[in-house]
Amino acid sequence: MIRSSGLWSALAGRASQAVLVAVVVGVVSFSMMQALPGDSAYRIAAGRYGYDMMDAASADVVRTELGLDKPTSVQLANWLGSLARLDLGKSAVTGNAVADELKVQLGHSLLLAGAGILVSLIIAVPIGIAAGLRPGGALDRITLGASIVLRAVPAFALGVLLMLALAVHIKLLPVAGFQSPKHLILPALTLGLGLAAVSSRVVRDAVSEAMAADWQLFSRTKGLSSGQTLRRHVLRNATLPVIAYIGVQLAYVIEGVVIVESVFAWPGIGHALVHAIFGRDVAMVQGTALALGLTYVVLNLIIDLCCHGIDPRRRSIT
Amino acid sequence: MLKALALTMVATGMLTSQISIAADKTQLNISSPWEIASYEPSVSGFAFYRLGVMETLVDATVEGVLEPGLATAWEMSDDGLSWRFSLRNGVSFHDGSPLTAQIAAAALQRAFANPGMLKKAPISAIEADQDDVVISLDRPFAALPALLTHNTTVIAAPAAINEDGAHIAAIGTGPFAVDTFTPPQSLDVKRFEDYWGDKAQLEKVSYLAAGRAETRALLAESGDADLVFSLDPSGYARLTGIDSVETRAVPIPRVVALKLNAGHSFLEDPRARNALSLAIDRIGIATAITRFPEATASQLFPPALDQWHSKELQPLKQDIEAAKALLAELGWVAGDDGILSRNDERFSLLLRTFPDRPELPLIAAALQAQWREIGVELNISVSSYSEIPAGHKDGSLHVALYARNYGLTPDPIGTVLQDFGPGGGDWGAMNWENTEVAQALQAIAATDDQAKRDADIATVVKTLQAELPLIPIVWYQHTVSVAKGLQGYVVDPLERKYRLNNISWSAE
Amino acid sequence: MLPTAPQHNGLSVARLIGYSLLAGLALCAVKGPDLIGIDPARQSLMHTLQGPSAEHWLGTDHLGRDMLARLLSGAQLSLALAALSVLTAALPGTLLGILASWYGGWTERLLTLFADAVLALPGLLLVLMLAAISPGSWWALYAGLSLTLWVEYFRYTRQRSRVILSEPSVEASRLLGFGATHIIKRHLLPEIGPGLLTIAAFGAATAVTAVAALGFVSVGIRPPTAEWGVMMTQLLPYWREAPFLILQPVLCLVVTVLALHLSVGVRRPT
Repeated sequence: MIRSSGLWSALAGRASQAVLVAVVVGVVSFSMMQALPGDSAYRIAAGRYGYDMMDAASADVVRTELGLDKPTSVQLANWLGSLARLDLGKSAVTGNAVADELKVQLGHSLLLAGAGILVSLIIAVPIGIAAGLRPGGALDRITLGASIVLRAVPAFALGVLLMLALAVHIKLLPVAGFQSPKHLILPALTLGLGLAAVSSRVVRDAVSEAMAADWQLFSRTKGLSSGQTLRRHVLRNATLPVIAYIGVQLAYVIEGVVIVESVFAWPGIGHALVHAIFGRDVAMVQGTALALGLTYVVLNLIIDLCCHGIDPRRRSIT
Repeated sequence: MLKALALTMVATGMLTSQISIAADKTQLNISSPWEIASYEPSVSGFAFYRLGVMETLVDATVEGVLEPGLATAWEMSDDGLSWRFSLRNGVSFHDGSPLTAQIAAAALQRAFANPGMLKKAPISAIEADQDDVVISLDRPFAALPALLTHNTTVIAAPAAINEDGAHIAAIGTGPFAVDTFTPPQSLDVKRFEDYWGDKAQLEKVSYLAAGRAETRALLAESGDADLVFSLDPSGYARLTGIDSVETRAVPIPRVVALKLNAGHSFLEDPRARNALSLAIDRIGIATAITRFPEATASQLFPPALDQWHSKELQPLKQDIEAAKALLAELGWVAGDDGILSRNDERFSLLLRTFPDRPELPLIAAALQAQWREIGVELNISVSSYSEIPAGHKDGSLHVALYARNYGLTPDPIGTVLQDFGPGGGDWGAMNWENTEVAQALQAIAATDDQAKRDADIATVVKTLQAELPLIPIVWYQHTVSVAKGLQGYVVDPLERKYRLNNISWSAE
Repeated sequence: MLPTAPQHNGLSVARLIGYSLLAGLALCAVKGPDLIGIDPARQSLMHTLQGPSAEHWLGTDHLGRDMLARLLSGAQLSLALAALSVLTAALPGTLLGILASWYGGWTERLLTLFADAVLALPGLLLVLMLAAISPGSWWALYAGLSLTLWVEYFRYTRQRSRVILSEPSVEASRLLGFGATHIIKRHLLPEIGPGLLTIAAFGAATAVTAVAALGFVSVGIRPPTAEWGVMMTQLLPYWREAPFLILQPVLCLVVTVLALHLSVGVRRPT
């Protein structure tokens, strides 16, 4: 799809995707919210006032205040109209501008997701390469076992285990919170270990396949040392599927942080989305979904550009 | 905060606990499950009040006795229809502006316009009159000063409110002022040097909302948080064995109860409601799930509400055979699968509950098994708690399980009147009315003379125990973990505030 | 040092172990609950969080229910969920991926746009919404998971196929007149197979831990139904007091994923 001369068309493609995503996310999330059972005025009142203060009277206050009795088509048209003016509206629950809430939460989530991916790469790449060079070897089997265990342990259990080990027993790191850089380490490690469980296997498969490929044998017979072969051919060819896989992982990471966020009391967008759905906070759901969708588009553009730089063959494919 | 952060950075590698001892002598870290969504007092007043940022006109001691807050005195007119609150002089907000009667009256008018505690009183007007705030009523309501202790009636500075009437900051009169606020997770406050009352000894207090009980228990165990609220039973047991913290449990007037739709054809007869109550293993639930066997509910109002708790009442008990007999009396016959039926209708009910209090779904699962024993099928829907008032309103509710707090204010009459008065309440009786109880409640509301109230209260509790519009299951214990070395902290059984200006670290 | 040509005997032994583990798990799920004859919903509030005993081989949970009975009855739901969501995600994902790379052009562009749109729509949103539309329903959870998981197979297949289909050996096959079936069978599947199977084997774990994660945000299956993921969430509060309890559903899942890996994950590209 991407030609070397067509960087701009790639950008244009992603830009049109971004617009498409914005409309689809807005319409889908709005119509799904409408399809949910239950009176949204009650849900919003619950989100606002807590169960000691929430009752039918407070739900009526919410209904009048937010104009929930207006036709749904009017509400959707209003949202799309404001979106065109880059206004995401106000949260029904907190009354704050959605854009302001997202600024804080998306920032924290991206920090956590970025750190998580970094940790996963630091773990997965060396292990995956080492295991892929000798498929079926001892290291390959051990890391496979470790991957399986890590993948089967839910993130919340891994999180509390790490807290117990690193924060309670040896008091190296804080248990939870987000005020200092040290607070980032444990949640990033929890997220990263879960991601590395799969991505280390993807690296390993890519490397072992590249090692087995025809041109690899050819370059060996050509007289290159195994170290040169590894650097010049194997790693170069193995990188592509790995980066492509990270692209897929991104989508999961951005939302997957919800568990890690709530275990580590980290203010983030996953947490915000869950609360918004429970609270029937339509503007907030649309805003968070839009932010997640656009983040995904931007990150994929970056992935596209990386792939483009790495694999010369892609330039010749239409 | 920055200084603490810088120190932490410099000392990376050193033990965290050493830093906290060396540098944070005047710093306190608090963790609780409750998130702070916004600046709006009707939404987040609880946090600003508990942390000592905002204050109310009337205050209360830990024992629940009213005492002056921002108002130094108050009196009721002879006809009981007007209350006059005299404002304290020389009080200034955190931004330096002075507190006036106009500001206080405006704040209370906003509180009355929003959902909150003032809605429970028959208020007709709130006005400023020189240095006083005057509240007029439609009918006598003796518990009005008690309502004014609630965190939805805090007084905020005019500068905190924008032209739309929305709160855009938290500027109060309390011993602590907001430093940084990252909704919904954290709030840092610093000492307010011009506080009118006892100035705080702590310089900084950090509040972290940690939704998971496992996280809070670890925060307490590691020493990252000095005061940790709402521990789960397992975490509480664990922390009790740890030297660096002290755990405390105080009975609070919060009750786990089942709300029954008395208009439902299965539940309209008091005998049916009694049968369901007799099938409940309260001791088992209090032992295994909430783990305070002494908090098994023998009646609706717990001993913590001493004026409403009656020692004369026959305690609610488990008696499977009696339960079965009552249901047989009502014409229910066991079917092939053990579930009762009558006129081709299965005795099957849907229970609504919510996960915000983690013990509720567990208690629901226990009830499901226990009612199965007497042939009642219970399906469980764990969803938003708003489904309960919604189901009350549209009549679709069968049974709801929730925790009701009768200690929101020192005098529970506002809440009780709303729950069991005419027409029932969203969080109280449903399709159940009793004129005797309604009259007694009106009489209780009109006076604050305990001697006059006693007979009426006795009528109310006796009728509630016999008719069971709500089936009580267990009472609550408020659990707190306190770091060793912290002085002056007293657990507030009404969960009203932390009283941070009395707290300090002991010198070692 | 040739990396391939591993010992065929060793591999088939591993695969044999994998198959027998899978068969054993399936048998446990189907026959187990009847065999032990204990009601997984039966409570005993005075005997909670107990260790293994003659009466309760694997102990009791937080409501005094028999852990073995719950694990066996949970196996049915969990294994069915894992198998169904992996199959319904992998088949369309792989087929569409091959289709896209085979035809290229508009087909590929449209499919990629569709996949990207699905991925850009937060999966969490889909799952939570479907779960909220029909609360407590197992099918809603499953549909939501499957809808979000297929894209992974699609992207992987497409990316790899593009490279493979442009290789000289494939060109040669085309020139020699071999049809699409031959090229897909002979060139494509052997190359992308191992990667897909790796994703699928982990996908089974993803399905179960996703249910656990949803349970963590209080969405999902109604009590008293037992399911491994739900059990993990429900037993988390007792992780310090009775760590052996939460370990049990996790170990069940480890064994399942291990069995899948041994059965499929060790085939080498030829």
